[in-house]
Amino acid sequence: MKENVHARAKELFERALVEGLASADQTWLDAHLRECQDCSGEAARTQELLRAFRGVTVSLPRDLAARTQFRVRLHASETAQTSNGGALLWVITAASWLLGVLSAPLVWRIFAWAGSEFKLPRLVLEVGFVLWWTIPALVAVAMVLHQRSGARGFASATEDVGR
Amino acid sequence: MPRSPVLFTGLMTDERQALAAGLRRRDPELLDRLIEQHQQRLYRYLLFLTGDPALAEDLFQETWIRVLERGHQYNAKSKFESWLLAIARHLVIDISRRKKFSSLDELADPESGQPYEPSDDQANTALELLVTRENERGVQLSLMKIPAYYREVLLLRFHEELGLEEIAAVLASPLSTVKSRLYRGLEALKTALSEGAA
Repeated sequence: MKENVHARAKELFERALVEGLASADQTWLDAHLRECQDCSGEAARTQELLRAFRGVTVSLPRDLAARTQFRVRLHASETAQTSNGGALLWVITAASWLLGVLSAPLVWRIFAWAGSEFKLPRLVLEVGFVLWWTIPALVAVAMVLHQRSGARGFASATEDVGR
Repeated sequence: MPRSPVLFTGLMTDERQALAAGLRRRDPELLDRLIEQHQQRLYRYLLFLTGDPALAEDLFQETWIRVLERGHQYNAKSKFESWLLAIARHLVIDISRRKKFSSLDELADPESGQPYEPSDDQANTALELLVTRENERGVQLSLMKIPAYYREVLLLRFHEELGLEEIAAVLASPLSTVKSRLYRGLEALKTALSEGAA
């Protein structure tokens, strides 16, 4: 029976620390701790342990905040540049596609005129026409790839600076 | 005159809304201020979790990069600190998987298999060096002996003084898990301390 009382006191004491107690339980616990030296000793030791735990301090590395602020600002400017560049590229691609569509009949006439003027075979004309359409897309892909490799290089460089 | 709870809650919400708006704008001044303000708490959390000062520092910087990138996801419903620590925690889990040291999956479920521990020798000496007060040495040594998932909740509850719901938000775990880890963590810390004293 007595053991149960001490076990309950221990349980309530820990619950008080972790999640708090209802007032009836708190009153019972306070009364028990006033009477029982073992339990009040155990409670005092736990309180002391937590006090010491709260007192544990950690030293910050030198200039940690300043170095982090620097790295975050670099990253922000880098991502802003990339997103601006990306938007511009989309605009240029869309404009080039639109101009391509609108100018297709004219371009075909020019190719047909060049073919008859220089006596070129039809196959050469067709390949030339296809290249006329695909070269802007190939240039755009090359630009994207170039931009991405540049961004990766920049990111690893900023990481080195941040260290 | 003391503030009424309703007014105080309103002010807190306004403050969080302003913070969320600043994060959406990627306001550099705000980020600078937040880094200053939360450096001690975030670094301590990362160091307690990893036990490795160099890794904790890397993760500290990476956490703020994530805050910059994902600031628009902060919805101002929870405290900024909880959101920040949750980001840091995810980074620790990611890095532990990539580096293939014991996975922090076990940090999410201490009852499954081996617990997450950083490589002990390195972690312990590093943490020892950084914990500066002599009179807390016993606790410091005992802390190193208990698993990281207990260190984490004990730190959040008794050092950072977060509420149980806030800890549950950081851990993305149910309240019952947080409570059971706290009870077991306290027990583990007491046992480690008494073994150290013996």
